[in-house]
Amino acid sequence: MTVSKDGDRVALVGDCHVEEAETLFGVMAEVREVDLTHCRHMHGAVLQVLLSCRPKIVGAPDDPFLAKWVNPTLAALT
Amino acid sequence: MDDLLKQFLVEGHELVQQASEDLLALERSPGDADLIDSAFRSIHTLKGSVGLFDLGPMSEALHAAEDLLGALRDGSLQQTHPRIDALLASVSQSERWLEALERVGELPSDAVAVGAQLTRQLRAELAGATAQTGAAASAVDTAWVAAFMARQDVRTDSPVVAVRYRPDSQSYFNGDDPLAVVRGVPRLIALEVEAPPADPVNYDAFTCTLAFHLISDAPVDAVRAALRFVADQAEIVPVEPAAAQRPNAGARSLRVDAARIDQLVDLVDELVVAKNGLALVTGVAQAGAEMAEVVARLRETQASIDRIAGGLHRGVMAVRMTPLGPVMRRLPRLVREAAASLGKTVDLSIEGHEVEADKAIADGVFEPLLHILRNAVDHGVEASHARVRAGKPARATVVLRARQRADRVVIEVSDDGRGFDPTAIRAAAARKGLMSDEALSGLDDAQALELIFLPGFSTADGVSDLSGRGVGMDAVRAAVGRMGGQVSLSGAPGVGATVALSLPSTMVMSRIVLVRAGGERFGVAIDDLIETVQVAGDCIVPVRHGRAFVLRDRTIPLLDLADLLGLAGGEDAEGHRKVLIVGSRGEPIGVAVGSIDERLEVALRPLSGLLARAPGVLGTTMMGDGQVLMVLNLTELIG
Repeated sequence: MTVSKDGDRVALVGDCHVEEAETLFGVMAEVREVDLTHCRHMHGAVLQVLLSCRPKIVGAPDDPFLAKWVNPTLAALT
Repeated sequence: MDDLLKQFLVEGHELVQQASEDLLALERSPGDADLIDSAFRSIHTLKGSVGLFDLGPMSEALHAAEDLLGALRDGSLQQTHPRIDALLASVSQSERWLEALERVGELPSDAVAVGAQLTRQLRAELAGATAQTGAAASAVDTAWVAAFMARQDVRTDSPVVAVRYRPDSQSYFNGDDPLAVVRGVPRLIALEVEAPPADPVNYDAFTCTLAFHLISDAPVDAVRAALRFVADQAEIVPVEPAAAQRPNAGARSLRVDAARIDQLVDLVDELVVAKNGLALVTGVAQAGAEMAEVVARLRETQASIDRIAGGLHRGVMAVRMTPLGPVMRRLPRLVREAAASLGKTVDLSIEGHEVEADKAIADGVFEPLLHILRNAVDHGVEASHARVRAGKPARATVVLRARQRADRVVIEVSDDGRGFDPTAIRAAAARKGLMSDEALSGLDDAQALELIFLPGFSTADGVSDLSGRGVGMDAVRAAVGRMGGQVSLSGAPGVGATVALSLPSTMVMSRIVLVRAGGERFGVAIDDLIETVQVAGDCIVPVRHGRAFVLRDRTIPLLDLADLLGLAGGEDAEGHRKVLIVGSRGEPIGVAVGSIDERLEVALRPLSGLLARAPGVLGTTMMGDGQVLMVLNLTELIG
């Protein structure tokens, strides 16, 4: 399980695979924030859910690619 | 560049322009025989000239366009939207090719493929069939590259590769991970990714809706290799470095009304006469005439040389004056493309073709105007359904208006869109962390508008294909400022917005005042100044890290010009200080100088070469004593 929900925050941890996109979308209505700190990679489908639902992003990913290229885009949407 | 090619480029741009205007007009009045005729003639002439050079792909595409127009002209085919689109695509592409010719002297490496695609599309229309759609048709469209590069403000000295990667909607099922693919692209220097907002009811997490734009400075083969498994979904376009420098590159030639040259010739004749007058004075002096008589004659000659020099200056300026029309006429097609890519319909009306400005101003204003227009289309104009709901016509109207006002040219872009909303602007600035909440709530509405000019500001909620991130009004203000102009905003929320550029109509004569700071002499543009005041030393109070003084019940921060310029010798704080009051971003700021001396009208030379981008310097001028004087741009220095 790499999508873990805690109250109104959800954390993506490690490698998030394509099947997690649906799980993530399922909880999107109930969460306000998504924590990417420990996300190593997210599948395109997971990224798509974040881009489409525009939750507030907290935490800068440790992964340099996500931190440099993906996080700013997500942060700019909210 | 050989003369024939030079001549061809000048004509080529005009023909492309004419054809594009005619085609756009045809959209409004379908089937108009005169317009079809005129477009046909332009394309025909252009095709003929192209034949003189080795420009195969361009020639073929234009030939196909000519045939299609011919069929529309003799009535064997009806005018349809796709046909006009295909023709406009060929005209747009021709313009891009002309620009490439101007820059590097040859067509870009993808010209054969792009040309063949255009030709196919035109021939398909000609055959009465619909052109292929989808991936094939979009191969022609490389406009996204320029838009993306501008948005990302990518300026590079080496070639880069731009990629638009739109994964297949089934790619998740096929086992692709688009983000992993992008991760694999070497040496990324820019990346944009977007997905449309989710529909909460019918969202399908397994249908891919992602779209990526990226730029890499790796060799094109390396980029291709990284994308080899999705080659059918990615457009890979090598971009030559010169692309970033286009605005200054071409169009340095000038077409001048012969009458203006005749005037200059007359003046030069008069100058020769006046010069002979000097010989006469010398003769009189040698013959031992009275000093008084020699002086009187000298005065007379000086007066006439003065008059002629003034006339020559005005004459040369007049030669450089060019109507804004040709620049403004390039805009409607680009606005149309921008609006179409956003699914909006926008009418652009243009007033003031005949208004004239210095050639450098007319050329320099194109990019800022395009930028403002794109902003208006993207952020100002609402989607059609929202417009109808607000009781506005579904078609938006954008007016581009140029006027001469005293010695300045005012160019306004007004739209009837949602207008500037100070509340939304404050909120966006807060979100982006541009200013603290307290500072923001202290701003009145006019000051809140000014936030738009901060680097990194954009009110867009999402990133659209057009003007999302990276393009800022700060860039517009800087570009206009370099030409000695100002940008101002007005409008009411819900009703519309106006962006006005006020530019000097001649770039060359500027009014400056001489000041001293740190023992050196500088010029300051009078246009930058609100007033000059003298402040008693004991009225200047320290405020946190800076200093301030009170002027007419208003506290004004005080800076020292010597400090701003990094010069030694801030003046003594005891006696009176001479202070220039500068309006910066709507706020008066005091700049202390050592002394304020005389005012002058000078011929300002813009900085060139290595110094061209030096911040805070408007240009240089030669003083009567032969010294070079730097003229400062105080607003930029303070900024």
